[in-house]
Amino acid sequence: MTGIKDRKDCACDRWIAQRRKLSENMAPTFSLRKVGKRYGDGLAAIHALRDVDLDVAEGEMLVLLGPSGSGKSTLLNILGGLDRATSGDVKFRETSLTAMADEELTRYRRQHVGFIFQFYNLIPSLTARENVELVNEITENPMPAAEALYLVGLGDRLDHFPAQLSGGEQQRVAVARAIAKRPAVLLCDEPTGALDVRTGIRVLEALMEVSARFRSTTLLVTHNADVARLGDRVVRFLDGGIRKIETNSGRAAPADLVW
Amino acid sequence: MRTLDRKLFRDLWRMRINAIAIAMVLGCGLSIFVMAVGMRESLEHTRHEYYANQQMADLAVSLVRAPERVEFDLAAAPGVAVVEARVAGLALLDLPGVVEPASARLVSLPSNGKPLVNNLVLARGRWPDPTVAEEVLVNEAFAKALDLETGATLEATLRGRRQTLRIVGIANSPEFVFVSAPGELFPQPDRFAVIWMGHEALARAYDFEGAFNEVVFRLAPDADQKLAKRSIDAIVERYGSTGVYGRDRMPSDRFLTEELRQLATMATFLPAIFLVIAAFLVNVSLARIVATERSNIGLLKAFGYSDAAVGWHYAKSALMLGAVGALIGSGAGVWLGRLIAAVYRDYYHFPRLDFAAPLWIFVAAFAAALASASAGALFAVMNAARIAPAAALAPPRPVAFSQSNGLTGALSRHLDAKSRVIVRRIVRFPRRSATTVIGIALAIGLLVVARTFPAVMDRLLDVHFSQANRQDVTLSFIDAREEGVLHAVGQLPGVIYAEPTRVDSVILHNGVRSVEEVLIGSKPDTRLGRLIGAGGKLLPPPAAGVALARALAAKLGVKTGDWIDVEQTRGARVRVSVRVAAIVDPMVGSSAYMDLDAQARLMREPRQITGANVRLDPASYDAFNSALKRTPTLAGASFLTLAEQSMRRSFQEGVGYMNLIYLSFAAVMAGGVAFSAARVTLAEQERDLATLRVLGFTRFEVSYVLIGELAALALLAIPAGCVAGTLMANWLMQLFQTDMYSFPYVFNPEGYGLAISFTLACVAVAAFVVRGGIDRLDMVAVLKGRD
Repeated sequence: MTGIKDRKDCACDRWIAQRRKLSENMAPTFSLRKVGKRYGDGLAAIHALRDVDLDVAEGEMLVLLGPSGSGKSTLLNILGGLDRATSGDVKFRETSLTAMADEELTRYRRQHVGFIFQFYNLIPSLTARENVELVNEITENPMPAAEALYLVGLGDRLDHFPAQLSGGEQQRVAVARAIAKRPAVLLCDEPTGALDVRTGIRVLEALMEVSARFRSTTLLVTHNADVARLGDRVVRFLDGGIRKIETNSGRAAPADLVW
Repeated sequence: MRTLDRKLFRDLWRMRINAIAIAMVLGCGLSIFVMAVGMRESLEHTRHEYYANQQMADLAVSLVRAPERVEFDLAAAPGVAVVEARVAGLALLDLPGVVEPASARLVSLPSNGKPLVNNLVLARGRWPDPTVAEEVLVNEAFAKALDLETGATLEATLRGRRQTLRIVGIANSPEFVFVSAPGELFPQPDRFAVIWMGHEALARAYDFEGAFNEVVFRLAPDADQKLAKRSIDAIVERYGSTGVYGRDRMPSDRFLTEELRQLATMATFLPAIFLVIAAFLVNVSLARIVATERSNIGLLKAFGYSDAAVGWHYAKSALMLGAVGALIGSGAGVWLGRLIAAVYRDYYHFPRLDFAAPLWIFVAAFAAALASASAGALFAVMNAARIAPAAALAPPRPVAFSQSNGLTGALSRHLDAKSRVIVRRIVRFPRRSATTVIGIALAIGLLVVARTFPAVMDRLLDVHFSQANRQDVTLSFIDAREEGVLHAVGQLPGVIYAEPTRVDSVILHNGVRSVEEVLIGSKPDTRLGRLIGAGGKLLPPPAAGVALARALAAKLGVKTGDWIDVEQTRGARVRVSVRVAAIVDPMVGSSAYMDLDAQARLMREPRQITGANVRLDPASYDAFNSALKRTPTLAGASFLTLAEQSMRRSFQEGVGYMNLIYLSFAAVMAGGVAFSAARVTLAEQERDLATLRVLGFTRFEVSYVLIGELAALALLAIPAGCVAGTLMANWLMQLFQTDMYSFPYVFNPEGYGLAISFTLACVAVAAFVVRGGIDRLDMVAVLKGRD
């Protein structure tokens, strides 16, 4: 993570400080009450989520842990405005996401959410820099693309196309793309799922550093129990419901993880 | 059914919209092929049967007058199987309720039964009684145009004598499938009749008792036509023969042959375009399927399927598309063929004309469809066969792009990221981009061609009727008359101005090449019948030498300054060398032109004319026509306004039909290509577009990436389409050139505008429909999957 060290006096530090101050005494970033998600009707109905109650504080690093099909990704999609709850209420700060129209959800994603996926989802016809610029073009006051890429240690790969980058590098471009808009929320769905350990650790380091730096509320979905040590809290999912919420006494560093 | 084949059907079902687009494009091309070749075969077959059943003449000759006994000498000529000597002539008709006099060609029927050569098919009524002078048959086209039924009477002026003719039957003859008045290049069924009447009555009317002036021959199947011609020529020479000629110079057969040639042109030009586009579309779609199925291919190979088996699996889907296209084409071709056969039957009055495409046409259609589909499938099938199972099972690398230099690189730097995606994809997939551009360009081109035809027709009619021939009426005399007769013409009611003309049938020779044509003479200061030179410039008739229409000069193989021989076809049959003084572009007809006095001297008839061009006072139109009907020395009167109307009507009918066909085909071509391109782009970019939606781009912004690519390609296709259309139009105009018409390419801006806007509208509809896919993008599912 040379990027951050290289840029100690980065212009965004002032902005981050401001944001920390503002976040004190504020409502949680997300508050969920009795949230459910059902696919299909009648006998064929599948309940992906049932009666989920959860508050996520501003700047918190929350790890969602659970086996496949336990509902963690469904929750992440609902929080990211990609999907809607079929029951209950989801609030982002003071605003209910459940009642938002399609266009409002698009605007919500555009203004507040940064996504990181397991399979990077970069646009193959755009360079690393352009993939970040793509988002900057629709965001107010974004971080320059080059700066975001420096932050994730890709300052020397600005003009490479995805096909010219390794998997880890591609995922770091995805991280840069997510944080360039200085999002209030960072949603990461198995960000290391397609990577080897070494590369995965590098990506997680980048992720942890930028989320800490911007105090973005970060939700990280994983089925890897060791990755859970990175979070402030760990929410354990089973069969569409929250089985347990644990608070970590201290956050582990990515370099300490094994999987 | 094998499991793999079940998969094949499901794959095809999944890509059904692309499959339908490809099958439709193939179907369009092949329907034209089946229709045009089938129609040509049917027409050829019908003509053959008609000629055989009705004993169509192999040879014919016109004479001034020959005694009846000569018929025996002719029958004895080598190779001659049957001879029919007859009397023929022209007459003016006074039709009830019609202001202008019409004209007719009268042909005698043998006194002892039906004609042995050029026998008639009686459509209605009965044969005339040879003992009743007034009973006649008329041709069906004329009867139909004027709603005449048996029992109706006609007032005719035969060699100055007015006579009432009663129609007892309506008939058709293989000799008059296409009927036009002498000197007229276009059929006007309501203005010109063929009338058959008893030999004795007609001979009496024309003072031909015991004599004849026309002979038609059937030759023995193994006859040597050249020998027969020479022998007949030797016999009839002294009777004022114009030279014996074969079917190639019989106007009706010539016209039919021309029609067959045009069908053959149509059968190759349009289908070829559609087959090429279909091949491109198969290529793009199948390449996409193989890319999507990459892991399945790896799996099949891992299970032990051979490379060939996997390749064949994908080849089969292309072949199935080809087969479906051929089925659509065959069905639509037969349907179109039946429609067109009805039009032909109506127009030519064949006793029977059924659209019957022989089996080989369908076999050829299938072969062409399969060849086109296979050619398109080649790359994708080879990819599927070649890829190693391990490589196929590994996750695909992102499509490799590179920084482009040059124009696109420079362009990219000035664009936003979304537009860069568009430009880079166009450059990265050149074959697919080219397919889309070529497809849309050809659709524009097809419409440019379709819209050029009416503009050319307008030009042709304008040049012929407004610039070259400014007379209201052309009068033709029965025989050449002293120039003084013009004074009498000037005395007819309503005549404002009259100019003399002279029309002679001549044979033009250049070495071994010879062409029979008309030589038209006019005064050097002519104001009515004018000559049009290159570039539409008006030329006076050459003071010395002869001017030739471009098509005629080409046939003779001569240019300005060369010398040709002009041979008279009657009288002393003098043959004189004349210099080609100019090449002219009359657009209608391919005649030779001279100074009137020089021509009269050449024909050894100094100061004699054969007709007059007349300008009329419209107020005295009826009085003029009444006077004409009472003029005994007239062989015919051609009314240019009526001729123009008739030509325009006929062109419009043809052009209307053609427009509809071209419009629908261009819509299929443009729509199919655009649809296919947009679908493939959507399928390929589904993940990218979903990513954009997740990142917060609106549907509208995401649609821009999808539709922008198609729009950019459509914009590139516009200039390409205009160029392609111009080239195709030029080429087709040359192909459609006949003895009668020369079609110059005419730039019609409105046509180009229509072609572009119609095609873009088709592309827009296709894009709009495919864009719906963006609304249905499942962001979660797309992003979860690996690609």
